[in-house]
Amino acid sequence: MGGLLAYLDPGSGSMILQAIVGGVAAIAVAGKFYWRRFLGFIGIRKRDDS
Amino acid sequence: MRRALSERGLVDWEALAATDLFREGVAAGRLVATERVAEPDGLPAELDAANVAAVLRHERIPVVSYPYEWPFGMLQDAALLELDLLLAALDEGLVLKDASPYNVQWRGSKPVFVDVGSFERLREGEPWAGYRQFCTLALYPLLLQAYRNVPFQPWLRGSLEGIEPAQMRALMSFRDRFRRGVLTNVVLHAKLEGRYADREVKRDLKKAGFHADLIRANARKLRKLVERLRWEPEGTAWSGYGEANPYDEADAAAKEDFVRASAGLRGRRLLWDLGCNDGRYTRIAAAESDYAVAIDADAAVVDALYRALRAEGSETILPLIGDVTDPSPGLGWRGLERRPLADRGLPDLTLCLALVHHVSLSGNVPLRAFLDWLAKLGSEVVIEFPTREDPMVRRLLDRKAPGANPDYETELFERALEERWRLERRETLPSGTRILYRAIPRA
Repeated sequence: MGGLLAYLDPGSGSMILQAIVGGVAAIAVAGKFYWRRFLGFIGIRKRDDS
Repeated sequence: MRRALSERGLVDWEALAATDLFREGVAAGRLVATERVAEPDGLPAELDAANVAAVLRHERIPVVSYPYEWPFGMLQDAALLELDLLLAALDEGLVLKDASPYNVQWRGSKPVFVDVGSFERLREGEPWAGYRQFCTLALYPLLLQAYRNVPFQPWLRGSLEGIEPAQMRALMSFRDRFRRGVLTNVVLHAKLEGRYADREVKRDLKKAGFHADLIRANARKLRKLVERLRWEPEGTAWSGYGEANPYDEADAAAKEDFVRASAGLRGRRLLWDLGCNDGRYTRIAAAESDYAVAIDADAAVVDALYRALRAEGSETILPLIGDVTDPSPGLGWRGLERRPLADRGLPDLTLCLALVHHVSLSGNVPLRAFLDWLAKLGSEVVIEFPTREDPMVRRLLDRKAPGANPDYETELFERALEERWRLERRETLPSGTRILYRAIPRA
């Protein structure tokens, strides 16, 4: 089958889930991820993508 | 079978080709044998030669098949193979960039991963891009069948993307939410997907310290989850079928002799057994063929056959779910991405044992229309005709209005056969209500 472009959207929610369910190793990553989001939310920290 | 690579694809291929994973995977038959060929000659016109950095040649898989034709055990083993390859890839600094079970094909009962282009160099800090696809096309279908006893094949045939997280959540009962794997992979997954749709999170995850060990931990968990799933089919149409008939063993023995003699006449490249049931006759005929496809409409029967063949280590009989009256269609872009079975290789011998009465009386396909289709395959045929006096035929006819299926008569059937084939042999089985024919195409 030629001519079709294979690109897979990993899905944002699917990526975050992987940081949550990875057991002990995931706790720090998920915590940091959400802490950064929280700081961004209350305006202490600028969003990276802005 | 050849594959053109871009510059980037070539670098990824070279990274893969240098690994133990690749050498050992090919040697063990888990990865399709692949080599780089020097001459990119004869590339299809639609490929821009300027963008082709290299060409690979793959070993040919005898017959291509799709997850919606596989029973539970085959999708389960295909999913486990993908997870094993992902784990092995991570150890080599690689990752699988997708997780489609369509990347798995079969040599008989042995799964082979065919998409070497799925391996790419791991980018540190990035989650596994294939996780969502693993859920939608492998994990959810398996959970649906294991936990809800709902067959996944119609869903996968209806949607090439599989079951979306939100759909899967809606399919789970309250009790199911507490079954293994559901709370995280389904409920939380659907929730996060709804919440973070179209938001960029990759960079944030990287900054938060996401690393490959998390992919590894997740893949191990998924492996354990998938491995423990079981599907216990309830009694199906064929279970215990025929046991009431005292002639059955004598008929079966005569049928075995007939099939053995017919298949042994000459070597065959490809055998189809339509309505294979437990594969008793497939095995006999397959001994004289390079490769065989054993097809039955009953998923439980095919699952049992797959498990038996796997235990035997068979590499020459491919068990598939299929219904002559409702065959796999062409699907995807222009209906060409997934092909009808006949487009994937025609047989030179076809067995139709204990099939015709189901196609005609249950499927309501006129006998002549069925034979027209069969003749178009162009193969030799071993076909069984149960007469109107046969107990199974009577049972099927009893459910219908009197005078139904007037075309279902031995004489009419025989005449229709002779119009399309040359009859080489005819034998009435000991029961007296079943007739076997060997028919070869008129040149």
